[in-house]
Amino acid sequence: MRTRALVAIGAVAALVIAVALSLAIGARSIDLGTVWQALVDLDPSDPEQLIVSDLRVSRSVIGMLAGAALGVAGALMQSLTRNPFADPGLLGINAGASLAVVVALSTGLATGFAAQVPIAFVGAGLAAILVYAIGARGAAAGAPVRLALAGVALTSLISSITYAILMVDEATLDQYRMWVAGSLTGRDLDDVMPLIPIVLVAIAAALIASRQLEAVALGEDAARALGVNIGAIRAVVIVLVTLLAAAATAAAGPIIFVGLAVPHLARALVGASLPSLLVVSAFGGAALVLVCDVIGRVVAPPGEIGVGITTAFIGGLIFALMARRMKVVEL
Amino acid sequence: MRILRIGPLGITTHRRTFAVGLLMLAALAALLVYAMAHGQSNLTILDSLKGMVGISIGSPGDFIVGQVRAPRALTAILVGMMLGVSGAILQSLTRNPLASPDFIGISMGAGAGAVLTLWLVGASSLWVTAAGAVAGALLTSALILILSWRRGIVPLRMILAGIGIGFVMQAVTQYAITRMDVHDAGNALGWLVGSVTGRTWTHVEACAVMLAVLMPIVLWNTGALRTMEMGDDAARALGVRVTAARGTLAACSVLLAAGAVAVTGPIGFIALVAPAIALRLTRNAGVTLIPSALMGALLLLASDQVAQAMPATLQLPVGVFTAAVGAPYLMWLVWRASRGGQS
Repeated sequence: MRTRALVAIGAVAALVIAVALSLAIGARSIDLGTVWQALVDLDPSDPEQLIVSDLRVSRSVIGMLAGAALGVAGALMQSLTRNPFADPGLLGINAGASLAVVVALSTGLATGFAAQVPIAFVGAGLAAILVYAIGARGAAAGAPVRLALAGVALTSLISSITYAILMVDEATLDQYRMWVAGSLTGRDLDDVMPLIPIVLVAIAAALIASRQLEAVALGEDAARALGVNIGAIRAVVIVLVTLLAAAATAAAGPIIFVGLAVPHLARALVGASLPSLLVVSAFGGAALVLVCDVIGRVVAPPGEIGVGITTAFIGGLIFALMARRMKVVEL
Repeated sequence: MRILRIGPLGITTHRRTFAVGLLMLAALAALLVYAMAHGQSNLTILDSLKGMVGISIGSPGDFIVGQVRAPRALTAILVGMMLGVSGAILQSLTRNPLASPDFIGISMGAGAGAVLTLWLVGASSLWVTAAGAVAGALLTSALILILSWRRGIVPLRMILAGIGIGFVMQAVTQYAITRMDVHDAGNALGWLVGSVTGRTWTHVEACAVMLAVLMPIVLWNTGALRTMEMGDDAARALGVRVTAARGTLAACSVLLAAGAVAVTGPIGFIALVAPAIALRLTRNAGVTLIPSALMGALLLLASDQVAQAMPATLQLPVGVFTAAVGAPYLMWLVWRASRGGQS
């Protein structure tokens, strides 16, 4: 219990440091005193304070939102599928949201951001149901390789449809390529605001359901003996994962591997207890996305690299190294 | 059992495999003739055959068949063969029907190499892009091998490492796409879906040379490949030098996939589907390379015919259509495996 409390404090501290970095570092470095000033007592005549309050605050909020959502979604997904390689991005859920948005952009169904969000939810939900139905059920459900391949295959199918639409429609391509790169800069904070309660409610619901999900993860017989309604809890978890992944995708574009790496690290620190894992993953995910965003701001001056690209690059390497460390039996 | 002999080379084959192979060859020939004769302007079969072998049939026909349709169809056939063989080797080596160069990072590496070349060097010639693709694929496979090497290669670990590296390469690709201007980005996306449109005789020659060099090496090692399917220990006991044979075959598979990607862009799903269909048609117990090659050629040529038959507003690259063929099969494969069948 004590270690868990320490880890939780550590995760919160990591997030605070990440937020400070995210507010201070960028094309123009701003010292922390000025940042503090901009937050508590804004002086509109100081351009540095305006940068913080106009640009970097919204960027940090969006990053935290997406990171927390993805961290929790990954932890839920891994517990549901009993599979260490489960990640909403890897399993094609983000790609489903992307495809839905591209279809909406191209048909002119959804021009504003507010209309794109529900469409992203629908796309993510369909992809989640599909990948779960084909890859994560039945006798061999625990084999990491199968679920990973099923996800990659589904992703490549969805992306080839997305590409096909983008190729005949250059206007959509121009809007979409910024969106797809996973960037925290393209959105207005006001647009993203409605997503915050969705994510918070979903995380709270995940915490409430976590004990029962733990029982399901023990095996169907054990869960039944403990009086858990297995079908209901699975359905609830899939809905929550969809909500979280789609909200993150709508806010920041498809970000991959955060849902994989964060719960993996968190599990090493807090053990298998799902409620603690969810809390630590939420804070850790938020911190990781912000740090990746800061890295993307500084590595290629004067330009920036979208956070989705940074996380895919770093996360892909982590994934490969995880595979390297696994014993043959576990695969 | 029956033994095919061509000079000093002999291939043992089952009667059914032989019959299925002949049938596929016939279907391929029929489809090729159809591809020569049909299109925006239709020609008689006799004329199109003449045009294909270089006998003059009057000026527009000469150009349409000799310079447009024939190289396009032959590129489709040869690239289909390369993909089919590459996938068959990989699936046999990893003992996993889901393994294919499109999913374990090799095609992504080739794509990243090509897009980086497009961005840094520009779209000066298709050959420069192709060189970038081959370099990207080779580098990626080297990286995958290094990452999955722990006292030898375990296939499953290689697949997972490949998936991870594949995402790294996609990140590189996307970064390049956000930095290009939008017209180039459109070109790059088009290349990334895969297309055989506008291929010339030079492309056909390049494919033919690669197949001519690599296929004998692959066929020479077919015995080792079949034996290794029984497990490393059994193969060693039967006198196969497992690490050397696996290395050679994996290298051939990567080169074939990289060559295919270099010529047409990464056309998805052929390498996944062709070997599996070939296996079911021949009812062989183990890997069947030549039927896989023929099946790959058939699938790609057929998909390209469908792509060409679409109305003018829907002219999409052939990669979209191979995905339409491959995806349902893939879904079924994973679904069946998750029902408790063999992986």
